[in-house]
Amino acid sequence: MTGKALAGVKVLDLTHYIAGPYCTKMLADYGAEVVKLEKPGSGDPTRSMAPFLHDEPHPEKSGLFLYLNTNKKSVTLNLKSATGVKLFQELVKQADILVENFSPRVMPGLGLDYQTLKKINPKLVMTSISSFGQTGPYRDFRATDLNIWGLSGIMYELGEPDREPLRIGNNVSEYVAGLYGALVSLSALYYCDEASKGQHIDVSIWEAFHTMQPSMTVVYSYAGFIRKRAGIRFPWGILPCKDGYVGFYLPTQIHWESLCALLEMPELREKPEYETPMLREERREEIAAIIVSWLKDKRMEDVFHAAQELRLPLTIVPNPEQLLHTPQHKARKFFEDIDHPATGKLTYPGAPFKLSETPWHAGRAPLLGEHNEEVYCERLGYKKDDLVKLREEDII
Amino acid sequence: MSGLPLQGVTIIDACIYWAGPMATALLADLGAEVIKIESIQRLDYLRLLGGWPSPDGYEWSAVFNGANENKYGITLNMNNPKGKDIFKRLVKLGDIVTENFSPRVMENWGLSYEELTKIKPNIIMLSMPGFGTTGPWRNYVTFGPNVEMVTGMPIVSGYRDGQQPFMTGYVADPAAGLMGAVAVMTALQYKHRTGKGQHIDLSQIEAFTSFMAGPIMDYTMNKRMQKRRGDRHPSLAPQGAYRCQGDDEWVTIAISSDEEWGRFCDAIGNPAWTRLQKFADALSRYENHDEMDKNIEKWTSKHDKREIMQILQQSRVAAGPVLNYGEVLSDPHIEARGFFETVTRPITGTHPYPGFPVKFSETPVHIRRPAPTLGQDNEYVLTKFLGMTKKEIEQLAEEEIIGTKPQGWPFAMDAEEAIARLKEIHEGKGGEKTG
Repeated sequence: MTGKALAGVKVLDLTHYIAGPYCTKMLADYGAEVVKLEKPGSGDPTRSMAPFLHDEPHPEKSGLFLYLNTNKKSVTLNLKSATGVKLFQELVKQADILVENFSPRVMPGLGLDYQTLKKINPKLVMTSISSFGQTGPYRDFRATDLNIWGLSGIMYELGEPDREPLRIGNNVSEYVAGLYGALVSLSALYYCDEASKGQHIDVSIWEAFHTMQPSMTVVYSYAGFIRKRAGIRFPWGILPCKDGYVGFYLPTQIHWESLCALLEMPELREKPEYETPMLREERREEIAAIIVSWLKDKRMEDVFHAAQELRLPLTIVPNPEQLLHTPQHKARKFFEDIDHPATGKLTYPGAPFKLSETPWHAGRAPLLGEHNEEVYCERLGYKKDDLVKLREEDII
Repeated sequence: MSGLPLQGVTIIDACIYWAGPMATALLADLGAEVIKIESIQRLDYLRLLGGWPSPDGYEWSAVFNGANENKYGITLNMNNPKGKDIFKRLVKLGDIVTENFSPRVMENWGLSYEELTKIKPNIIMLSMPGFGTTGPWRNYVTFGPNVEMVTGMPIVSGYRDGQQPFMTGYVADPAAGLMGAVAVMTALQYKHRTGKGQHIDLSQIEAFTSFMAGPIMDYTMNKRMQKRRGDRHPSLAPQGAYRCQGDDEWVTIAISSDEEWGRFCDAIGNPAWTRLQKFADALSRYENHDEMDKNIEKWTSKHDKREIMQILQQSRVAAGPVLNYGEVLSDPHIEARGFFETVTRPITGTHPYPGFPVKFSETPVHIRRPAPTLGQDNEYVLTKFLGMTKKEIEQLAEEEIIGTKPQGWPFAMDAEEAIARLKEIHEGKGGEKTG
């Protein structure tokens, strides 16, 4: 058990989709024992979410599910049955951390609110992740990543002024909330070790995501202005070159001067109309056109290395294929090949941080109900015959 | 127990810019005692961002003031042997050292993890440079926007018909910071159990690339390069931002199933178009997304964005207004949960700041002190931790090893004039498109 940072930490995982599973993935990947409870038959709905291997919808072949559930154990359990609830309570007794991301009325509806679970296990850390939090007028409202972007304030300032506001990437707000879930679960566990006291933690995805741009509400209060959508905001930009895209950021005068040096156009430095950041902001289109014509016949990696020689923060903007072949990622072995019975070996994003003493472990996601016997028999002491009966009753 | 999870944990924090300070801000929020180190020779660069180019502009950086709450702030010239010695004495008293310089910086100072373990054998050290501490690109310069770029996220972001990849320009910084805080807690848990410290090597780019798992898995499984799709979902429809009543007012609607679609149609009064065969199932809705959007907008444009949220949420349809930052501040739900906390800080005065986005039943987390002004806690820290006398501290100030005024702050613009210019750029001339 040594060699894993979170060895010995027992997590009961009642999560689905992205935010909750990402939270428990962080714990599992660094060594916690995570028992994921899934609905008998269909399991975590992420199992039916694209992308699938060879585009073939299959509960064991969803790329998102496979990534989000590495190193976990899967147990099926029907919480809508009285026996299911009893089994759950037995598992709660043995857990350090319970993570759930149902809408706030679900757990109390099942008779499994924190006050009840606390009586079974006073040292339980229960982490609830929900779109709007456990309290407040919107608590029962529904939201996806897109709605959260809209509510956060961030989306309002992204995009072209005459078009609809934009969100970025895929489910960023869910990953952020998942990380908060991991952070606060571990913090509460740390407190529990000291104070012998569990607690209930309420993570709001909306509030969590707002902290990804915590300063603009403050700017609004300091100075009273709201940024309007303005396309790509100088002093950064992404521009096409011969074989892809590069992006730059020019936070200071020195960086602007380095850019002029990279372009071998020292005369730009002398132009009074480009002298200050504000002036350059006003003429960003003009400046971008100069850079684009210079980039036209150049390769992204060549430009990247030449810029970095000048300490200019200009980088590649890779597509997924280019990303997987990045020399830096290769040297650091960021991408990991993970074998799985249903898909064979696939390449996954690996450790998000490297620990010198307790390395990250590249395990696979579980098959639905793969660990029923291990958990119910070895852990809770049921017999194999009991499992057959539970299965017949659709409890597992 | 003080009632905070990380009570008794001490962090010596050399982080500057945003990602690193965000990591230690979260740990400070959770109760760790964080001693933030910058210098009068080189301010934390975040003080220059988001502030005004005025004489005291380095205290007006909203982003700095938000990312350094609950910390103690000292200045220390690390290029002076005396300054470095003070740093080492602080390390001896700390549990965790954090930094996000280029990897060569701490090495050049003789403050690598190996060196720090000689001072404190069970120290945890978090290093979080852009590209990580190893590999051929380790010393390359990156800022938050670059981190977002190198993950490839901009390639899958932006308008479907747009020419350009698109990005936020900032989200990678706080996200990597959040990952840094998780990393520290993971190592702290291990130390708690075994007594052993360790070195955390966090590449901000790797951390944020994890958020790209969907498109990456699609590529590794199917060799598919996902494309920009604006606000749309990869397969479910309708999803998007729709124009509402008023000027530049929008609502997001995200329908995830046929049942939700049915409830949506009921909620908007089942206009004739909703019964057309081409909108009957998810696949046909996706194929006819543009036409469907026009019809939906006919309805949304007649209603207020908040009213639409209420109408649709009553029918259990995921919908919400696109809020600007002012509207977030005054939102009734946000107010009911007390998310923003009012904090009074020297120079900047009294303002609301976003609080910790998580509520603890036993150990509530709040903003206990505002971000430090430059060198604010020099005397407190040097006295309390190192037992220095007033005279010793005065001597350090004389030698410019510590101080409270930046050297060579280049800006002298009148604050009001600077704000007026910024306002003009961000509000008045938003109509220009970028290249």
